[in-house]
Amino acid sequence: MTEPAAAVPASGAEQVALQSRGLARRKSKDFKRNNLVGYLFISPWLIGFFLFALVPILMSLWLAFTNFDLLSGRGEFIGLANFERMFFQDIRYGRSLSATFKYVAFSVPLRLIFALAVAMLLNTKRRGVYWFRAAYYIPSIIGGSVAVAVMWRQLFGSQGVINAITALVGFEPVNWLGNPQTAIWTLILLAVWQFGSPMLIFLAGLRQIPSEMYEAAEIDGASSWAKFRHVTLPLLTPIIFFNLIMQLISGFKVFTQAFVVTSGGPLDTTLFYTLYVYGRAFSNFQMGYAAAMSWILLLIIAVLTAIAFRLSDRWVFYETKEG
Amino acid sequence: MARPKLRLLTIFVLTALLLALGTAVLAQDEPVELRVVWWGSQSRHDRTIEVIEMYEAQNPNVDIVYEFANFTDYWTLVNTQAAGGDLACVMQHDYAYLAEWAERGLLQPLDPYVEQGIIDLSNVDESFIAGGRVDGLLYGLSLGSNSQAIILDVDKFEEAGVDLPDPQWTWADFEAIARELHDALGIYAYGSPSLGDDQIWTSLILAHGTNPFNEDNTGFGYDDDGPIIEHFKMLLRLQEDGVIMSLEEMAQSAEGPENSPIVTGDAAMQYQWSNQVVAITSAAGEGRNFRLWHMPRPEGGRPANYLKPSMFFSIPTNCEHGEIAADFINFFTNDLEANEVLFAERGVPISSEVREHLRPMLDAIGQETFDFLERVSADSSPIFPPNPPGYNDIRNNVWLPLFHDPVLYGQISVEEGVALFRAEAEAILSQN
Repeated sequence: MTEPAAAVPASGAEQVALQSRGLARRKSKDFKRNNLVGYLFISPWLIGFFLFALVPILMSLWLAFTNFDLLSGRGEFIGLANFERMFFQDIRYGRSLSATFKYVAFSVPLRLIFALAVAMLLNTKRRGVYWFRAAYYIPSIIGGSVAVAVMWRQLFGSQGVINAITALVGFEPVNWLGNPQTAIWTLILLAVWQFGSPMLIFLAGLRQIPSEMYEAAEIDGASSWAKFRHVTLPLLTPIIFFNLIMQLISGFKVFTQAFVVTSGGPLDTTLFYTLYVYGRAFSNFQMGYAAAMSWILLLIIAVLTAIAFRLSDRWVFYETKEG
Repeated sequence: MARPKLRLLTIFVLTALLLALGTAVLAQDEPVELRVVWWGSQSRHDRTIEVIEMYEAQNPNVDIVYEFANFTDYWTLVNTQAAGGDLACVMQHDYAYLAEWAERGLLQPLDPYVEQGIIDLSNVDESFIAGGRVDGLLYGLSLGSNSQAIILDVDKFEEAGVDLPDPQWTWADFEAIARELHDALGIYAYGSPSLGDDQIWTSLILAHGTNPFNEDNTGFGYDDDGPIIEHFKMLLRLQEDGVIMSLEEMAQSAEGPENSPIVTGDAAMQYQWSNQVVAITSAAGEGRNFRLWHMPRPEGGRPANYLKPSMFFSIPTNCEHGEIAADFINFFTNDLEANEVLFAERGVPISSEVREHLRPMLDAIGQETFDFLERVSADSSPIFPPNPPGYNDIRNNVWLPLFHDPVLYGQISVEEGVALFRAEAEAILSQN
């Protein structure tokens, strides 16, 4: 809003100078008052953040150095013992790390590839394309839910649909969820199926690519593969990078699906990191140990994200950087 | 500027005072709110809610608020409440956790209420409530007695032409009978749950003559892992020959009593706690012929069965209405009409008067359960002390993932597994 002009008779340069100084003073006062209003407006969020995010975060940092027991609500400072136990004694911790890394290593690239492929298909002007876009997005809305995980369990159960279909083709029924080799793949498949949100972002990215680029390529006689390889892909790299980071982070935080479909079994092959943290915290009440594990997860994600950013210089192309 | 502020403050303080006064006055007329929580199946929820309504009808000044969940969610719920110091006045408790909770000071001893006559135990034999004592004090009142059992599908035995086993059968007998059943019928002699779960481990050790844990809970109470090795080798043999369901298949099968192999007719025997038999038989429906049998014991060993309180009602330390809570627990234990509704669903009632009252009303499987527990009480080992702190950790992070699963998946040898189990479990126990 503009300031209402002060009613001062305009006469002489001195007066003008005085007036402007006064105005400046008043402005800074108003600025402060405006700030206060702003803070008031965001105060619900701020209170929520401090109370429900910052305080628990700091508490969990403290808990990580204690043997806090959820049942009795007591704990003592034990220094780095939690971390020592994690890295040198806990056999299941190693298992949970390898399960999580395997899951991320396969589910993230596969989901991105799938999302990009579907986005390319839907980036056309055909009739009904809007309907398809919505339809393909639905799995990611409901995909994180418990209901879908339960359905997945049914699908891959010994009497499930998947075995019924493979039996038609003449295969022996497979113990998808009971076999340590296959169980994690059912979860990776579930993750790939939930490609909706990276797909939407890819779609937005694809529509940003100027059509002149394609026209120019066509005039040069580029095949559709060449257009994809030399126009679409380079111009899409910032979007790919963004999706990669987001999926990397959410991949490490996978919980619901494994909790419902496999409960971490068989043989801990799907004992994802957060699942193990949950088990330690709420089935064994070792909140201190669980907090320590959570902080290591944060560190892992932070380091991997940093590496991804460092490496991004080599392959991500920003149009604005150099002509 | 100062005056309006002062006026505002005065109004504020006055309002606050008035409000406080209001609630204080109201509190006298308002019914006491008593919270009750339990875990269980739908049938238990229905029965318990009905008894709560009966109690409320008789005690208009008490308003009962209740919560219930399945076993796993229940412990998540109450652990969260314990951390917040906000436990319900009457909470269902389990033998596995009772000592741990009592020792952490979360529960009140019930003895004062018994002495005051609020909880009447005149019709209750000590053997039924002994399991609720920790260091001599009663921290949980048993809601029913239980024992481990093997359910036999008698029709399957007849179909196969196999005689019912001797009540004092051994694991060797079990193996022989299982093979006969499997050969004759082509189905699994035994389905799920695993015959290698942690409660079979403890009863196996008990049957061999010692308690699973030493007196101060700092280590195992036995030195010889031989019985465990022998037991798991038998399971592996039977699993390999398809006589019993393999762990891999169990991991795959759907949950819930209605999907258990004995109910679907895919198996002839099933290991179950006696109080869960009702759920199994009602899932199986009419016309099935199930009997309860002693757990197999070692050759020349003690009985593997012991009488266990199926669950308790406890009163947490933070409860402000201890006497009302105790009165409710007494109602639950001794009232004949209430027990007609509860109908031994939590296990065979501890009051002899209630048992006599219910007996004529029982159906076949109910009578079978009552009879089974009487047979067990005549031929059982004394219950071992409640599991030590850290038992949960041993079960969830050692027994199952480091020993039971890898051995039954054939990933490591039994000897290797049992050595790892001992080392890891004793490391946990040594912290007690």
